[in-house]
Amino acid sequence: MAMTTTAQPGGGAEAGTGPGKLTGLDLSAALDNLWVRFLPEIRARVGMLDAAVAAYAAGAMTSEEREAVHSAAHKLAGTLGTFNLARGTELAREFELLFAEDCVPDSVSAGRLASLAAELRVIVEGR
Amino acid sequence: MPHKILIIDDEDDIREVAALSLESVAGWDVVTANSGAQGVARAIEHQPDAILLDVMMPGMDGPSTFRELRKNPATAKIPVLLLTAKVQSSDQRRFADLGVESVLFKPFDPMTLADQIAGVLGWK
Repeated sequence: MAMTTTAQPGGGAEAGTGPGKLTGLDLSAALDNLWVRFLPEIRARVGMLDAAVAAYAAGAMTSEEREAVHSAAHKLAGTLGTFNLARGTELAREFELLFAEDCVPDSVSAGRLASLAAELRVIVEGR
Repeated sequence: MPHKILIIDDEDDIREVAALSLESVAGWDVVTANSGAQGVARAIEHQPDAILLDVMMPGMDGPSTFRELRKNPATAKIPVLLLTAKVQSSDQRRFADLGVESVLFKPFDPMTLADQIAGVLGWK
């Protein structure tokens, strides 16, 4: 079995023939349209990370909240790089690892988490 | 005849970017499903040439969906490529042991996703 790594990049369709091959510029424009369409979902996930920072700082995170943050960070890590936001994927992945099930973020400073979340928001809003 | 790919992923954004990529860059036919159960049903109905299967999904996850596909004679021989944002080596070993054709990683490059799949499946 091959393990294939991917380079960092540049609809609910039913079966059907594609519209024909696009150039890189055309694909970029089509991706921009998808970005705009999915931006509310992406913002909501970033908002969950913001909320997690506050809850962590207050020492008030439940295991359910930690699981939800882990899931949101995982999804962001997979999505942002696909929209050419490789740094966003790095930050989200760091969040994901910090909130993994077997990795309680006791030793992590709230400041570091706040910094990660703030940079993520800037990246998402700046695209 | 263009290749036909089934994409199974619960995340709308990833599913749509992958569909756009494979339809528009490679000219392949794309069928999508937003859950493992729907994916198995669509695989039986559409008989795709390959399946791109997300790992982390609520309900029936990627590995469980893969096992269902292998159990059914109608889908047992369809090549399956896992798509995952998991980067830890323990996860990668676990996925490799399932018997899938390949493991592709999120984030993917929409310009080259089809090339990766074609390369793994010998479609070039």
